[in-house]
Parts: sequence; structure tokens; C-alpha cells
Amino acid sequence: MNETGGDKLYKVKTNLFEGPFDLLVYLIEDAQMSIYDIKIAEITEQYIFHLQQMQERNIDVASEFLVLAATLIEIKSRMLLPRHEEFAEEDLMLDPRKALVAKLVEYKKFKGAAVFLEGREETYLNVFYKPKEDFAPYIEEDTGYIDVDISVLVKAFDLFITKKKRLEDIQKNYDFSTSVERVSVEEKVNLIKHKVSRDNQVTFGGLMKECKDKNEVVVTFIAVLNMMRTREIQVDQIINFGEITISEGEND
Amino acid sequence: MISKKAIKSAMESMIFVWGEPLPIKIMAEVFNVDWKTAYEYMKELQEEYKQQGRGIMIIEINKSFAFATAPENAPYIAMLCNPAKEKKLSQSALEVLAIIAYKQPVTKGEIESIRGIKCTRVMDGLQNKGLIEDIGRSEAIGRPILYGTTNAFLKHFGFQSLKELPDIEDIDRIGMDEEETYDDGAEQLTLLIEQDRKGENYENK
Repeated sequence: MNETGGDKLYKVKTNLFEGPFDLLVYLIEDAQMSIYDIKIAEITEQYIFHLQQMQERNIDVASEFLVLAATLIEIKSRMLLPRHEEFAEEDLMLDPRKALVAKLVEYKKFKGAAVFLEGREETYLNVFYKPKEDFAPYIEEDTGYIDVDISVLVKAFDLFITKKKRLEDIQKNYDFSTSVERVSVEEKVNLIKHKVSRDNQVTFGGLMKECKDKNEVVVTFIAVLNMMRTREIQVDQIINFGEITISEGEND
Repeated sequence: MISKKAIKSAMESMIFVWGEPLPIKIMAEVFNVDWKTAYEYMKELQEEYKQQGRGIMIIEINKSFAFATAPENAPYIAMLCNPAKEKKLSQSALEVLAIIAYKQPVTKGEIESIRGIKCTRVMDGLQNKGLIEDIGRSEAIGRPILYGTTNAFLKHFGFQSLKELPDIEDIDRIGMDEEETYDDGAEQLTLLIEQDRKGENYENK
């Protein structure tokens, strides 16, 4: 690449790019290249230069940017391979840039759509809607004055007080906390360890039968898997769908 | 049988009271007419507002109708009460939205493949704003979530329905000759205003 190209790059405004394709499309358009005939060598150099600049400015360069850099370099090297005249037509089909171009064209379409949406947004941010009405003023109120005798009011108040007292009594006498005891994987591991060392061998089915709920089944299963991994137990199944036996492992 | 004029008048009052987009189905039920008739009346009413160049327009969002202010009056409303302006969406949010709008139902993987970069955060943001939602799961491996746009999306960008999205192949052309693409009076007006405002912005700079 020549000097003027380098100068041009310094004028590039440092807006953040949305992604590797965004940067690449920008570079291609900036160089006034056709997207269907990308000068790979030139673009690759600019692209990598740009990544370096981003890194120098301490911008976190996402790994996806590097993936595209690798792709560009790969295409560049494949473009360098000699082409035979007689396969010229086929070569066109096998243009190493083809897949990348297809992706860029697709991306550009949606970038265009994003610009279109931005325009719509700008217009419609100036459109105001009425929030949903508070219907209270429209709805007939039924909380007007009630014509009642004072005795009725006293009765109602008494009822309220007794109800409240009774509720307090009940709460005092009963514990409403319904904490479900949950078995942890660690507890289960210890339990299985204990059982295996005591009985020498237990069956998986037997362990499952002891479980009180679904949660415990899951915990037991995880515990067994974990112990297999750490080789604390050895698990055998002699025939297909047969009983699974658990015995002490080598690492116990 | 109530006259057509009376129904249209009543509908106008109803959407005034309701505030939020009122589904045409509800209006049709009130007057005991089929929804297509109700829809036709509503469209007529909408057109009348447009023809008269009112400061209020009737907007349609997925077969629901609501009153909204004309965009050109925004500066005057601002003088009155300085309304809290919604923040504009970021460039990446717009890109993701564009992809979802055109490709829905679409998985996150497909979106990321088009953009060439991860979109998790952007999509979370859009979902929190209620502009996109998950609309099911793909049959593909892992049964990834499929995303689509919401009615809030239509409202945000002033679309009646997704059918109003221009053909993606033509979108670059729309950017170039906006005025010709819209033969619709009101649309053209808003675009002209938009250009005007852009002009002002440049002067300010």
C-alpha cells in the first residue's frame, strides 16, 4: 500500500464499529471499491491496520474482529495461488471471495434497513400518544356515604377486632413456615459413600426408591455422576437395561 | 340499525376515551357489525382526519386505532410541557431490529451470523424495551428461541403492520429518493418535515 493510502486512514473518524462486517464495509466504501470486486490485499492491510489502531486506543477488540482478519488473510493467500487460463471460468465460480461477498451483501442490506428504521424513528419520536386513561372519573363510584345506624358500625368493628384476635392466636400456635427440606448433592455423596462402604454394594434402583421427591431423585443422580467422575465409586451394568450396581471405586 | 355516520362518530369518541390503541374487534362488537365493516369505517375516519390536515391523526397498529399528534407539531408541544423524549435506539439496536423485523421468526444465532458479532446484550435491551419478544422455538438442534417484533415495535416506527416494511431489496433506493417512494400525502409530509429539521440541525452545528 502506498503513502497516500496511509494518510487517508488517519483521517478516518474514530467512530466505533458495530462489528467486523461494519468495519469491512466501511473500508470498502471508503476506498470506493466494488463490493463484488474487493482488492483483498489492500483491504486486508487496511483492516489489520485499523484493528491495531483500535488496540492502541485501548478499545476492546472483540474476538470476532480477529476471526474476520484471519478469514481475510486466508482469502488473500488463496488469491495468490496461480490460476490456469483454461479454468478461468471455473475459477470465477471458485472465487475465494465469494462467500465473504455474499455475507457482506447480506449485511449491507440490513444496515440499509437500520438506516431506514432510524429515519422512521426520528419522525415518530415526535408523535405523542395519550397514555391510557384513568377511568376513575368515568366509572360510577360506589364509595359514597352509607346511611347506617351507629350500632351496625360498632358491630362491624367488634367483628373486625375478634377476627383479628383469632388470626393472631392461630399464628401464635402454628408455625406457617413451610420450608421444604432440600437435600444437597454433598449430603447425598456422603450418604452414598457411607452406604457403599457399609454394604459393599448398593443398587441404583435402591437409591432411587429411597428418594422422597423429584428434587431428591435429581440430586441423587447428580451425586452418582459426580462420584463416578471422581472415581469414588464404580458403576456397573451387566446387561442392557439391567440393574445398575454401585461399588467402591479405586479412588476411595 | 344505527346509521354509518353515527357509528363513525361513536368510534371517534371511543378511541378518544380509550387513549391506547383500541382493537377494531372491540368496536365491531359494540356496534354488532363484522370487523371488516368496522375497519372500513375506521379507515374512512382516518382518511378524513388526514384530508383535513388536522393536528391529530388516527394511527393504526395491527388493527387497533389510536389518536396521536401530528409529528410537525412536536416543537409546539415541547413549548407547552417539554415532554420526556424517548431515547433514540443505538446503531446496533437498529441493526438487530432490522434483521428481526425482516427475518422473523429468527434465532439469535442467525442474527449474529448476519452481523458477524455477538448480540446478546443488544437483544436483552430490545426485549426489555418490549420491541422484540420470543415467539417460539426453532426445531433446530438445541431448540433455540425464535424472536419476532412486537406491537410496540410497530408503534415506535409508525407502522400499521409488518406489511408496511419496504422490500429489503429496495431499501437503498428509498434512502436516495424518499419523496418519490411515498405517494402517500401524510408520509410525504412527515418526510419533508424530517428533512427540514435535519436542515436546522446542520445550521445549529
